[in-house]
Parts: sequence; structure tokens; C-alpha cells
Amino acid sequence: MTLSGLSWSALFGVFGAVAAATALLYVLKLRRRAVPVPFAPIWKNVLRARESSRFWSQLKRWLSLLLQLLLLSALVLSLGDPRLGGALGEGKNIVLLMDASASMKATDEKPNRLGRAREEARRLVRGLGPSDRAVVVQMGMLPTARGTLTGEQSELLASIDKVRARDTGADLGRALRFASDSLHGLSRGQIVLLTDGALKVPERPETDGLSVSQVIVGKGKDNLSITQFSARRYPLDKSRVEVMIEVTNTNDHPADIELSLLGDGTLIDVTRLHLGPEERLPRFYPDVAGASRRLEARIASSGDRPDQLPADDRAYALMPERRRARVLVVTPGNTYLEAALLLDEYLDVSTVAPKKYPPAGAFDVTIFDGVAPVVHEKAGACLYLNPPAEGAPVKRKRRLSLFGFDTWERRHPVVRFATALGDVQVAEGYSLVPEKGDTVVGASAQGPILVAGKRQGHRFVALGFDPRQSDFVLRPAWPLFVLSTIDFFAEEEAGYVSSYRTGESWRIPAPDSLESAELLTPSGQRLTVPIQGGRAAYFGEEAGFYRLSAGAVEPFVEEFAANLSDLEESRIAPQPDLTIAGKPVPEARAGAPEIRKKLWIVLLMAAVALSVVEWLTFHRRITV
Amino acid sequence: MGVLDLFRRSSIPAPPPARRLFDEEFQQKLEMLALVSRRVFAGRLRAERRSKKKGSGVEFADHRDYVPGDDIRSVDWNVYQRFQRLLVRLYEEEEDLSIYLLVDASLSMGFPDQEKLDQARRLCAALAYVSLSNLDRVTVLSLSDEGLLRMPTTRGKGRIFKVFEFLESVTASGRTDLGEALKSFVAQHKRRGLAILISDLYDPKGFEAGINVLRFNRFEPCILHIVDRRDARPELRGDLLVYDCETGEEREVTVDEGLLRRLEQAVTHYRQAAERFCTSKQVPYFAVDVQAPFQEVVLDLFRRGGFLR
Repeated sequence: MTLSGLSWSALFGVFGAVAAATALLYVLKLRRRAVPVPFAPIWKNVLRARESSRFWSQLKRWLSLLLQLLLLSALVLSLGDPRLGGALGEGKNIVLLMDASASMKATDEKPNRLGRAREEARRLVRGLGPSDRAVVVQMGMLPTARGTLTGEQSELLASIDKVRARDTGADLGRALRFASDSLHGLSRGQIVLLTDGALKVPERPETDGLSVSQVIVGKGKDNLSITQFSARRYPLDKSRVEVMIEVTNTNDHPADIELSLLGDGTLIDVTRLHLGPEERLPRFYPDVAGASRRLEARIASSGDRPDQLPADDRAYALMPERRRARVLVVTPGNTYLEAALLLDEYLDVSTVAPKKYPPAGAFDVTIFDGVAPVVHEKAGACLYLNPPAEGAPVKRKRRLSLFGFDTWERRHPVVRFATALGDVQVAEGYSLVPEKGDTVVGASAQGPILVAGKRQGHRFVALGFDPRQSDFVLRPAWPLFVLSTIDFFAEEEAGYVSSYRTGESWRIPAPDSLESAELLTPSGQRLTVPIQGGRAAYFGEEAGFYRLSAGAVEPFVEEFAANLSDLEESRIAPQPDLTIAGKPVPEARAGAPEIRKKLWIVLLMAAVALSVVEWLTFHRRITV
Repeated sequence: MGVLDLFRRSSIPAPPPARRLFDEEFQQKLEMLALVSRRVFAGRLRAERRSKKKGSGVEFADHRDYVPGDDIRSVDWNVYQRFQRLLVRLYEEEEDLSIYLLVDASLSMGFPDQEKLDQARRLCAALAYVSLSNLDRVTVLSLSDEGLLRMPTTRGKGRIFKVFEFLESVTASGRTDLGEALKSFVAQHKRRGLAILISDLYDPKGFEAGINVLRFNRFEPCILHIVDRRDARPELRGDLLVYDCETGEEREVTVDEGLLRRLEQAVTHYRQAAERFCTSKQVPYFAVDVQAPFQEVVLDLFRRGGFLR
């Protein structure tokens, strides 16, 4: 037996002192309570008969003292924290990688898979040896240590309780790397995976030669999920919304699904779907009315089979706010341009003659029709139609005639929706000279005719011909071009995403002037996120609606949504045959409960038992 | 007496607040007892008592053989004529009976909460009432080593309030010494009669001495032994220093279940010893529980007693 607490000499000292005090108290005569009786001679007779058992009485008193000393020795010895021989040898260092991916929210275990994994982790911790140490790591897309490497059971159990399942997948490779780094230089390192096995195993895992074992939880595989959910406003009618939902049946049997669509918390549409085994069914809602900001899709199984993973039964999307763009048109008069601008009711259009430029006020977009005056600082972004030779941000190169768009950047926001652009015929115009950093959006065979770029803080788009000198203004592509350009300038429509995907780093647009902003998560947490280069960076792990806000004087508020949208996570069937580097991962086994190894617990229990015996014998008048 | 003794004395429970022992309700009960006692002794309830003396009364009592010297006028000639045998007619000689009610008023009677003394006083009052109703001469005395308190001999039912008044004034005090107390009693009372001793018989010198004093001085003693079950089964546990409430005699003791059992046996033996002694000396003995309703106790005495003839 070895002591890991106080030394033997210290124990003897403590025991000697306290035992002497106890014995002294026993030797000292008890101060008796005086009680009157009506007739003492009767008591005298009784006590005379008792004299014969005086020796036994004295002996019982010594027995009582012996009990007390035994109790004391048990207590004092427990201070030494004695261990059985060999128990204080070199201990193991264990990383408990607890899968916190969305599939761990599956309810095929009670209360869910993570709950079951927690139980298994507790069992493992209770089985740790006295010299073993462990650390609990939450394995999501990013591994997060929930405590320190310690041998204290209470700390480890608290760490286990801190693990939370996220709405993301789990990056096993990164977690193994984290674990091997944590165990670097430590002896007898082990990695224990507590997972449902639904993981993407890296081809070259970095385990640094450490032994890896696993505890697989989960037994069900029935799941239905929303794997895609996106929405957008129509470019020419922003009051209307187009929604696409993809529902997947991950089961090997058909499933009946009830699909609900909610707009701003109100039920808009309910549809019943029948999906075959492993079927992915996209569904479009071409004209969704009734939702101005928030959209939410929900599915529920309407068949006999349960849907065991609720995390992928909801998806969220947020429409961009419909801001009113202030547009200034500097033109001597252009009917086609004015007609195109009339198509969007959310534009505040002001028209001014070139001689009266600049007017008072600030604008988001200024359209210069055949003119290029000095740009006012509050002009916003600029669209140049047929820019003159001087004053425009791009120079004219040479005159062109009878040309058209031979090539154009089909994905550029300015021309993304402009159909049949190649059919446009232009009588005359000019090729443009883009500068470094400019984008040639459209070009004829003779040179660039549509250029986008940035000058002195003002973004611009320049069209190298007068639209009225072409059939462009007669085509549907014309108003789409004008409005897309305004959206490009005003709202960055092309960069807008209706929802982010969890498990990725998000870069949310934010004002350049801010350094940080407060992020309100769907679960109500308030976090401070940094802003760099006009983007707030955040690694999202939770599906739902977020709100980013900052600034007291000029408040900035941005809302956005995030979804799981991970088919791999939706396939919740547990994978017991996990293999890493081609080797099957063995099952982890818990050691014996530590109570058998820590003698101080036994000693304390013995002290309690002795105390109970003493109490009983005293009150039963056996040892008095 | 040391300082500790002072503390010790303070552990004797204080007597309960004074209350009227003989209230209206009590008097109604006494009236009922008097009526019931008449039924019990139906036919013999005239206002006189018959003495054991056979003599010159008017009521025939018995015959006995004629012996020379007998008054020849008392020979029953009718019997002689029928049976040819000389028998003398005996008559009951009527006289007033003196009843002495002796209440032990030592400290042990007031322990632990005056219940014994209260029961003794109630019994005494009841017996006095019934006796006064029967026109007996009743004398009430309280005994303790501090002196013999006496209520003057009285007769007639109307004097019962004097008895109440006297008994109300009796308090528990002093030690028990029945022998000495009864010696001074017999010295002061030359007229013999029924002496009813109401006591717990806790006399360090022995209860026998006192009873013998009565017997040897031709009183007719009757013992009402006041018994409190709490004396046999006190609610005590643990290491204690017990002391006599009268003498202050101390004993260190550890009270456990076994000791309590032995104490119960010892108290029972003590009571049985008293009963045995009285029986052997033909002294009527009645154990009276302090918790028993006094009406029942009194009626029981009337039925079983015979001391009220």
C-alpha cells in the first residue's frame, strides 16, 4: 500500500494527538445530570443488584473507546489517500472525442444520441485509474476542448455536461489532429471516439501512432430531411418571392412527408409529398406571396415511420430588405431610360439636366446619359451610357459601327438576367479602354463595349454606345440591364445569400467603419464578432435566424439565416465498422470503477459504518 | 448543603399553579358519592354506628351462654323454655364512631407534580363527606416531620367546608417519618376510632413502624396506599445522578432499559410488601392509583372495605 496524501509520520502524529484527546475525554468522569426521585432507597436496592455487573459495564465503556479509536484511525488513514500497490504507476492520457455533429441529435436513443454518448463518457471516466488523466473534446467542424487534461472525475464529468450537439457535421480529421497534438509528449496516450460513426473519415488521419478506440451510439436510421432551401426576390417585382426546397428521404423505404412553408411566422403553404427510397425531391414555389422577410420550411413524417432527427426538419431563409434606392438621372431626355426605371416601384428617381448637375442631396446611383461631368462626392455609383471622350472613367478608343455583344460575362450581376444579349444590334458606338482592375462585362469583336470598375471610391458601369442607337431599348434585356445594374450598385444583389450553411466560416457584409458587431444567435446568445474589410467573420454552428448589429449613432442591423443542409449528416444510420487508416477501430472498454482503487473511500465508508454502530450501541445502552 | 445542591434542588419540578381542588363540580361528585354509599349500605343507614361492644342497647345482636355473674334480667327465658338452655341476650351498644383521616404531606407526596397529594386530599375529602353525612366524628390531620397539622374534630355534613378549607391549606413539605408523626397523633387523641392513613408509604425508617403505632394503641388502622406508576417507570435515560427528593441521598446511575425493568420490579415488590404486612396484621389495605378517578376509588373502598360499617 502506498500513500499519495499525507505521509505515514504525519498520519501517526495526527492519530496520536487526536487519540490522546479522545482517550482523555473518556477518562474524565462524565458530568452527570442530577435528577430527583421520590424514594432513593428503592433505587439503592436496584443498584445493589447492578454492582455485580460493574466489570462488564467498565468493559463496555472501554469497548466504546475502542470503537472511537477505530473510527479515528479510519479517518486519519483516509487523509493519507492510500493506494493499493502498483496503482500509482504511470497513468494513461486519454482524449475523449465526443461527436457533436447534428446527427447526434437523433432521438433513436433516449434522450438522444449525445445523451447516450454522455452516459458512455461518464462510464469511461468513472473507470479511469488513479493516475489516469483525460480531456473531453467536443468534435464538431472545429474541435473544442471542454476542459483541461485532468484526473479529477468531477471536472471531467462537468466537462462532459458542457458538450453540446451543433447543427454541423464533424471533422474527424481535424479532431484527430487536435487529439494527437494534445497528447504530444505524453505517455500512454489514447483517443476514444464517442460517436454514431456517421463521419467522413480522412484518407490520411494524423493519429501520431496513438491507439484509437470507439464507443458507437445510435440504433435507428429513419430520417427525412430538407437538404436545400433557397429563396430570392424577382428582379423586376421584388414583392414576389421564388422559393426552392429540396426534400430528401434517406431511408430505404418510401416515406410520406408533410411540407409546411411559413412566411414571417405565418403558415403559407402545406403540401403532402410521397418520396421513394433514397429520393431527393426538389420543389419550387414560383410565386410566394405573404412573406416579406423571413421564410421557414418544416417537414414532418406523416407516415408510420418516425423521423428520428429533428435538426434537419427545419430550414430558414431571409429575404433582403427592400430598400428604396435613390437614383439620379442626368440626361437631356431619354424616354427609354425613364420607362425602364418606372418598372421598379422601389426606386426614387430624380432627373436633372446636365447643366444643372449636381443637384442637392445624396444618391445611391447616378446615371449619366451621354454626359460625364465631374462626379459629385454624394453621387454614389455611376452608370455611364455612351460616355463622352472626356470626363468618363474609361476612355473611348475608336468608333464602331454595326456591332453587337459578341461576348459577355454571363454571370456578372449586371447582365445575369439580360436574355438574348447577343441579338442586340448597334448602329454606332465606341469601344472602351478598361484600366487595370476593371472588368470587361461585354465586348464586340472590335473591343470592349461594357466595362465595370471603380474610380476614387465610386463604382461604375460604362456602356460604350447610346442605347437609342440600337435595338437594345426594344428588347426585354434593356430594363433588366438597367435594374440589375442599380441592384448591383445599391444592394449587391449578386453577393446576397438567402441563407448560410452551418459548419463554415461566414463573412457577413458590414460597414467598413466598424471594428466589431454584436451577433445574436438563434439560441439567444450574444457574441461579439470582429469586422475586417467590410465583413464580419463568424464560424456558424447553429441553424436559424441571426441578427448582427452595431453602432449607436448610426445603427447597423443585418439579419441572416443559416441552415444545416448537409445530406451526409442527414444519413443517421450508425456506422459501427469505423475504420481509420484501413484498420478497424476497436471498441473502448471502461476500467473498473475507481472506488475499488481508492482506499480512502472505503475508509470513509468504514468510518461512517463505525459511527453508526457507535450511535446505535450508545442509544441502545450497550456501550454505556 | 453545597452550591451544587442548590442547583440540584432547582431541578425539582416546581409545583403547578394553585388551583381550587374542591370546586363546585367536586362537591357535586361528593353528593353523588353520599347517595351511592346509602344504596351500598341499604338498611343500615341510620345516623348511628354500632360499636363492637355488646351491651345495653335496644337492638338485639346475639346470644351467648350464661355465665355466673351475668345479669339475670338478660337471660332469654323464651329460649330456655324451648331449648332448656340458659342463654343471655346481647344488644348492640350504640355509640358515635370517631374517624381520623391522616394525610401524609411529606415532599414525596408532592413529587413530581403534586398528583399524589391531590389524590390524597380528594380521597380524604370524599371520606370526610360521607362520614359527616353519617353523623360520625371526623378529624383530619396532615403528617410530616415538620409537625402535625390538625383540623378540630367535627361532625355534621355542614362542616364539610371546614374540611375543604383545611385540606386546601395542606402542602407537601418535609420528610416522611410515619412512626414519629403517628406517635404524636395517638398521644393527642385518646378517643379510639378508625384511623385512615393516606400515604405513599415512602418512609426511610419503614412504613411498618407507623402502622404498628396505630395498632398498638388500639386504633383501627386502614391504609390507603397512593401509588404513582411514574415512580416505577420514570422517563429517564443515560448517565444520571439521582437523589432523594426528601433526604437528598445521592446515587450515580446509568439508566437503561434493564435498570428500568428492575426498578419497576423493586417498586412492585415494595407495594406488595406493604400489602403483605397489612394483610398479616389484619389491617385493611388499598392501593390507590393517582391516575384513577377518585369517585371510583371511593366506591371501591366502600364495596370492599367494610371499615365503614
